[in-house]
Amino acid sequence: MGVSFVKVYKANCNKLFFDNMVNENLVKDVVKEPYKYGFVTDIETEKIEKGLNEDIIKLISQKKEEPKFLLDFRLKAFKKWQKMKEPDWAALGYKKIDYQDIIYYSAPKQKEKISSLDEVDPKLLETFDKLGIPLTEQKKLTNVAVDAVFDSVSIATTFREELAEHGVIFCSISEAVKNHADLIEKYLGTVVPASDNYFAALNSAVFSDGSFVYIPKGITCPMDLSSYFRINSGDSGQFERTLIIAEESSSVSYLEGCTAPMFDTNTLHAAVVELIALDDASIKYSTVQNWYAGDEEGIGGIFNFVTKRGKCLGKRSKISWSQVETGSAITWKYPSCLLLGEESVGEFYSVALTNNLQQADTGTKMIHIGPKTKSTIVSKGISAGNSKNSYRGLVKMGTKATGSRNYSQCDSMLIGDQASANTFPYIKSQQPNSEIEHEASTCRISEDQLFYLQSRGIEFEEAVSMMVSGFCRDVFNQLPMEFAAEADKLLALKLEGSVG
Amino acid sequence: MKIIEKIKANKSDDNLTEIQKICLHKLQSSPLPNPKSELWRLSNKSKLSNFLDYSVNEKDSKFDIPYPKNSQSTIRLIIGDNCQIKLIEKNYSIQQLSEDELQKYIKEQISFFKQNENWSDLLNLSLSCKNNILGLKINGSKIPPIEIFSHASSNSLNAKTLVIFLEKNCDIELLQVNLGKENSSLTQSTFFCLKENSSVNHGVVSYGENRSNLLNSLNVIQQKNSAYNLGSLHFKFNYARFEISIKQSAGNAKTNIKGMQITKKDEQISTYTKIEFNGPNGFLDQINKSLADDKSHAIFEGSIIVPKIAQRTDASQLSRNLLLSKLAQIDTKPQLEIIADDVKCKHGATISQLNEEELFYMRTRGITLTEASKLQLSSYFQEIISFIPISKDKWDLLDKLLNEN
Repeated sequence: MGVSFVKVYKANCNKLFFDNMVNENLVKDVVKEPYKYGFVTDIETEKIEKGLNEDIIKLISQKKEEPKFLLDFRLKAFKKWQKMKEPDWAALGYKKIDYQDIIYYSAPKQKEKISSLDEVDPKLLETFDKLGIPLTEQKKLTNVAVDAVFDSVSIATTFREELAEHGVIFCSISEAVKNHADLIEKYLGTVVPASDNYFAALNSAVFSDGSFVYIPKGITCPMDLSSYFRINSGDSGQFERTLIIAEESSSVSYLEGCTAPMFDTNTLHAAVVELIALDDASIKYSTVQNWYAGDEEGIGGIFNFVTKRGKCLGKRSKISWSQVETGSAITWKYPSCLLLGEESVGEFYSVALTNNLQQADTGTKMIHIGPKTKSTIVSKGISAGNSKNSYRGLVKMGTKATGSRNYSQCDSMLIGDQASANTFPYIKSQQPNSEIEHEASTCRISEDQLFYLQSRGIEFEEAVSMMVSGFCRDVFNQLPMEFAAEADKLLALKLEGSVG
Repeated sequence: MKIIEKIKANKSDDNLTEIQKICLHKLQSSPLPNPKSELWRLSNKSKLSNFLDYSVNEKDSKFDIPYPKNSQSTIRLIIGDNCQIKLIEKNYSIQQLSEDELQKYIKEQISFFKQNENWSDLLNLSLSCKNNILGLKINGSKIPPIEIFSHASSNSLNAKTLVIFLEKNCDIELLQVNLGKENSSLTQSTFFCLKENSSVNHGVVSYGENRSNLLNSLNVIQQKNSAYNLGSLHFKFNYARFEISIKQSAGNAKTNIKGMQITKKDEQISTYTKIEFNGPNGFLDQINKSLADDKSHAIFEGSIIVPKIAQRTDASQLSRNLLLSKLAQIDTKPQLEIIADDVKCKHGATISQLNEEELFYMRTRGITLTEASKLQLSSYFQEIISFIPISKDKWDLLDKLLNEN
């Protein structure tokens, strides 16, 4: 139980428990838990000058010793980006971003080549240690292979040898560009084309690093793969790119985590994630996003504009997104599935929590193209403080999607009367032989249930925590074990201090 | 688009009323709605321009519309028919609004209009001449059912406007019928103001003929403790838009909406609803059904807005859709925007075809496939039709829906 809560609890214990106001205040206090990953690592970094132009892109490409096809890809994307307009349809309000005032490449200075983790700057390891990320070999027990990305570059990837035995490729995308250029050239930009949207075009032009996963035919990845993104400097944007390819009959579970220090400026994070699943393959992509969300007055925080999309290319392939979104000043994110293969399956499970002045416009797109495709959407939004939490989703049945099905459920929970919860589901069907169901509800923490729990001797904080936990249960059940604990902890920090 | 060119040209015409001038002026800078905006993005551009292609008709040829026989117990009014009404009975009174009252109210409404959101109303008011505006003030109790008709004439664009003030404690049943004619466009705007404790059962039935178009807009303001029940049906229009805006100005009011649209051939019919709760304890129950067949396109977009002040709002919205053909399309977007925390809001949407198991069951009992589908459809339609008040029987709505092609 958080200290802050105990004080409030005691101060209020003489009053009626089920008094509306008291409970509301308590919940609000409980919600105010400080951000724990806000420290800055003091490390020498190599940055390039601010601004964005062709020369900068050439410089990034040159620094990363990229082949020509990639430079061309970047330049093409940049040209497209210049012609595009920043989208304004989302229910978000933010200051105009000056794209020339951002550093597009920042990397911690270290030795040229790292052969083992021992050669990584200890300060960096310390940073990841503080974040609870198992980079060091002692932490083998957790059985999770990690790719850690610090600002613009990947620092280390663990368990590579073990993975290589199974033929699994797990490395930073810059390495993949050098060692597996054929795969990159074949798949990069095939799911999210450079011209897809404003932020995807920007990412395609300047992406610095990210993770690359390749699971060969018939292999079930022996351990969960994980990448951890850390923004350290305040003036550089993070533009990572993740590409996961699951060959026929393979399967992989991939986890992604993110944190950033507290700055009073806004930092831009515009990532692109592309997933490709071939026949009978399955990819499970889980995110626990905990970027710095800005302070109570809404100063600082990460602008998180992310394009995530998976393509179920093969028959009976499956892509499952699960996410816990707690951070970022602004979240603009719609992990989507293109269901091309016959009987392919798309899933989306999400918990989005906003507090203070945070704004989240998130949801998913399920595009049913092939026949007998299925998708499930479960989205839980919790809005507290003065925040704004919107679900925006698209379900589309194409003309060939006979016998396809979709089920969506989005529930919102409101804490306090200043927060807003919006739901914008777009549903489009061109196929009579398909079924779409959507339902949404809005509620708040029920006084009756709270009173009942308290009358059974469960303390206020725990009761709220149980109820929020129950509210999110459908989604938490979908998270991998390693993450479920972290997600629980995170909600505990954010809402629970207590709630979770 | 003759109309738009005319609006752009802005020839000052002395015959125009003040309201027409204000609306024309508002439309002048951007005479068409923004095609990229959420409200207009799915609207078929060529159909809309076809809508605007006719020249404005201010006089009606009266007798070319076959209205069913009037029963003695109902009051029948036809907009544009120079109807004068002043009924003062023991229990109730129905009077025409004076020009001043009418102008004051409409002007007040216009001041809230946004070019894009209320484009249909602006267009209507800028084209609707004095003859085609009917304003009514209704007071009292035990009022006989009222029927109000608007119709279009072939090869022309017709604009009709209806304003109704419902005084306190007043209770009415009103059926509004909009009829389209072959190759015609009709814009109908209705403004309804429900004072405290009043209640309305409102039916809106719109149907057209070959290639007729309709822009139907309904603006309702509900004061405290009022109840507004709307049953609506739109079918057989080449292009039709039904825009409903309901404001519960101080909450504590009840709204029930049951609407249906049926599209066939290459028709496009859309329903846009916006329901705002500006006070606590509001109630809404809305269901919208669509049926799309052949190459047609049915659209539903409904938004529910619950600001901070609207605590204890209970709102539900359901969109149910039947997609019967491979070339037809359905778009539906129910949406919630909620700030108040002590609310119960939910929405749902489904799209499917006729239930195969039920069809199979009926066929095993010797009912032919066509009959079985008709039975299913009639139960689908019946829920809405039974909600449309009075004299609907005269119109044989179910029969029209099931048997006409």
